[in-house]
Amino acid sequence: MRFYEVLLPGITVFPIIGVVVLLIWGKAKKSQAAVIGIISEGLALIITLILLVPLRRNGVVLFTMPWIPNMSISFTLSLNWLSLVFLLTEILVTLTAMIYSLGEETGEKMSSYYYALLLLFSLGMSGTTLAEDVFVFYIFWELMLLASVLLILIWGHGKTRDKVALKYFIITHLGSLMVLVCLITLYVNIGSANISVWMDQAQALSSNTQIFLILFFIIGFSVKMAIFPLHIWLPDAHTVAPMPVTIILAAAMLSMGTYGILRFPFALFSLENIQSFAIWMMIAGLLSEVYGALMALAENDIKRIIAYSSVSQMGYILFGLGTLTSRGMQGAIMHVVYHAIVKALLFMVVGIVIDVTGERQVQKISGLARRYPWLSVCAAIGVLGISGMPPLGIFNSEWMIFAGGFDSGISTVLTVLTLIGSLLTVVYGLRFFGIVFIGEIKPKQLPEKTPRSLLIPTMAVTVFLIIEGLFPGPLLSWAIKGLANIFGGTL
Amino acid sequence: MSGMFQIILPAAILISGAFIIYLLTRLLRLSNKAEAILTLVVLSITLSLLIYGYINIPNLIDRPDGVFGTSEPGGIIYSPNAIGVFILIVAVVIGIMVTLYSGEYLSRDPRYLLYYPLILLLIAGLMGMFISKNLFNLFLLTEFVTVTASALIAFRFYQEIAIKAGFKYLIMSSLGTMMMLLGIYFVFRSTGEMHLDKVLASPDNFTRIGAASFLLGFSLKAGVVPLHTWVPDVYGHAPSAISGLLAGVISKSMLFIMPPICLRLGMSRMELGGYLMIFACFNMLIGSTRMLKQPLLRRFLSFSSISQTGYLMFALGIGFYYDLEQAFSAALFLFLIIAVMKSLAFLSAGIYEYYSGSQNIDQLSGIGTFIPLPALFFGISLAGLAGIPLLAGFIGKWLVFSAAFASGDLFAIICLIVFLISSVISLGGYLPVLVKQYQPSSTSQFSRHQSVKEMIISKWMLVPVGVLTLLVVIMGLYPSPMINVVNFIVRWMMI
Repeated sequence: MRFYEVLLPGITVFPIIGVVVLLIWGKAKKSQAAVIGIISEGLALIITLILLVPLRRNGVVLFTMPWIPNMSISFTLSLNWLSLVFLLTEILVTLTAMIYSLGEETGEKMSSYYYALLLLFSLGMSGTTLAEDVFVFYIFWELMLLASVLLILIWGHGKTRDKVALKYFIITHLGSLMVLVCLITLYVNIGSANISVWMDQAQALSSNTQIFLILFFIIGFSVKMAIFPLHIWLPDAHTVAPMPVTIILAAAMLSMGTYGILRFPFALFSLENIQSFAIWMMIAGLLSEVYGALMALAENDIKRIIAYSSVSQMGYILFGLGTLTSRGMQGAIMHVVYHAIVKALLFMVVGIVIDVTGERQVQKISGLARRYPWLSVCAAIGVLGISGMPPLGIFNSEWMIFAGGFDSGISTVLTVLTLIGSLLTVVYGLRFFGIVFIGEIKPKQLPEKTPRSLLIPTMAVTVFLIIEGLFPGPLLSWAIKGLANIFGGTL
Repeated sequence: MSGMFQIILPAAILISGAFIIYLLTRLLRLSNKAEAILTLVVLSITLSLLIYGYINIPNLIDRPDGVFGTSEPGGIIYSPNAIGVFILIVAVVIGIMVTLYSGEYLSRDPRYLLYYPLILLLIAGLMGMFISKNLFNLFLLTEFVTVTASALIAFRFYQEIAIKAGFKYLIMSSLGTMMMLLGIYFVFRSTGEMHLDKVLASPDNFTRIGAASFLLGFSLKAGVVPLHTWVPDVYGHAPSAISGLLAGVISKSMLFIMPPICLRLGMSRMELGGYLMIFACFNMLIGSTRMLKQPLLRRFLSFSSISQTGYLMFALGIGFYYDLEQAFSAALFLFLIIAVMKSLAFLSAGIYEYYSGSQNIDQLSGIGTFIPLPALFFGISLAGLAGIPLLAGFIGKWLVFSAAFASGDLFAIICLIVFLISSVISLGGYLPVLVKQYQPSSTSQFSRHQSVKEMIISKWMLVPVGVLTLLVVIMGLYPSPMINVVNFIVRWMMI
């Protein structure tokens, strides 16, 4: 086994070591726990970056180890270009959330458990993206859910948190079960749990089975993506969760559904069978986009406004996937990344606003721009970013998604409607910015400055957003190579 | 008397052990803990004999003279049973844990003297039910199990509620055995035979009625809906250790004794499989919905036990209906893990009750911060029962799913959907209980402003519960060895 292959599981092992250390050192102070968390997550990031070298050379890095031989299950991880995009997004978002946690009150009590759970949450996501064996995939998939439920349950705000956590758990678990049904159907029919074996053999299944599986996979993963009308867990979960957890939920976890759709139904089955779902995916995407935007417009709680905007943005992604064109799907993958950055930024801004004002209702807050110019610059860039203003990232990805829509030739009307619907994003974005940052200063008593420990990471993300938008080259090439990984050359 | 004495050797050791222990404790005035240790010795000897039997299964079963007793009319006859060996190993292991646990659990009870011999007799009776080839003998042994079990359930006879539970079990179970007696009448009337292998040669309508009676009798003892009404009362009020043993092993093993008898009496595999699958759906639904909002911890666990009986029946049903070996392996594995997880759940619930004097979920909320270790164990048992990945329950769920899909039939898929619905509903039951351990409510004994006296948990309780927890985790992380065992045993399931 080569050096790089041994390095690959390090992405999952270092967070586990971090978790063990944190659990043993249960009484660590918040700063100490944070250091351990950040170091172990940072090591995972460094390994991912080192692995870029063999990835560039071979196109894939594979690690395999026998686990349950009599069920033909092995512990197999693989890093390819597609998983790289999602992995990097997820690790960076987690790191941001960990650093951001330092500046606010979440995790003051039971700090080491808090960081341990953040690590487990991140581990769940990185394992999901890396798993090449479905058994391993599902375990990480559930780990991601469990860790996030516990985070909401223990550190969430408000008295309803246990109800919200239960609702979140049950609804997303239903989605997971649909995925599990598909996974086991394939596992039984093919007799292997290895995804690369599936990619060779799944197309031989009967057409009816394929269609059933595609449907279940797409619905199951759409629950995680919070596509309308399966989004009902999202607004409450995002509102109740502490801000760093909300950042991870919105910026990283939602996109795991996208990864699932690309990895399973799209990669496994023949395009003709997926084709029959294309228009439905586009319609669901459009509905989600418009519904999320309208709800964001109607909400008065600033955290919920941004939460509903996620429903809307996931709509674009599903629409892009539904076009089934290379441009649309590249756009969708890029949108995942850009959305992660923008959404993290917006939630960080909202977190600071709630922190300084102590309010969450838009009516009670206004005119913050005069008092906090830097914060309002970040907020403005975030709002412009989400509205698709060039040269900020989302402009690029939306462009490609719409281009894909026109390319596909499925329905020009739908594409035009989506294009028009995107105007709603501008409306709710500007409404948010206008009310909160412009006008007379409300509430009267405000601290002089925003806490620096919160503002600095926020500004860093803002800068990162601008850079990403200006240089979309590497991301685009990864997306292209990632799609080549799953479709071969057939697209 | 002919044949191999070693078939009944483990049962003989258990029974003679029971009497010797009783006498020794009585004469030497041994303490509760000393009696528990003596019982452990007997159980360990039995376990080693059973493991020896497990290794020798192929030699034992293929021998033509591999029987004990005589097959003449009126004679009793025992023959080795591979499934029985497996299930009894599980039963004895759980029995060992229960005995260890009772070393502390019964220390406040003046009547401990009878308790351990009764446990030994209970296991011996179960063993007899597996190896007995004679219907009348089977009936007697079933009664034997019923009586010992109800004595154990009503063990704390100074509590009115315990007497009630024991009485309820006695009445209901006797109804079940009466059904069996009725079945024996029909079989004997038609064939003039009691020996199962001889009945097999000539099944007719009378023997089929007999088969149905046996089916009903065993269903009652296994707690199949709608004959499940005794379950919550009994498991809720028996001593916790006994609830663990009954819910985990004894009642579930009835599902494995029943099929060979019903099949030999002329029931077809399809009929048996169909019955099991349809009633499995009722069990799963009733168990998981009634589990929600139960105020008492052990009542809650009892209803979850009903749904697990359903899961087991589902796996067995697929096996019989479609002749699928894979489903039988799933059923055996499921039996193993349910035994471990269920007894773990009852034993750790017993720890709560023992130290706090309450089994009300609300009053117990927040207990996790005071006794973190038992709370962790209890949490793992619930998570395992809920089928959370990396714990044993998930492997079981995966195997049952695979079996249902391997059948590829609509009937199995419909039942699978019920299974899925039930597992989601039961999540809604497990999760709040799990969380309440750490979140004190206003009525809790463990809320912040109340002073709680320090609780030091006895090692006698922590060790068995810890071992069971470890088993749940190990079988979840590395199930290969156990799957090998199950795959080895399963070929005798296909009879």
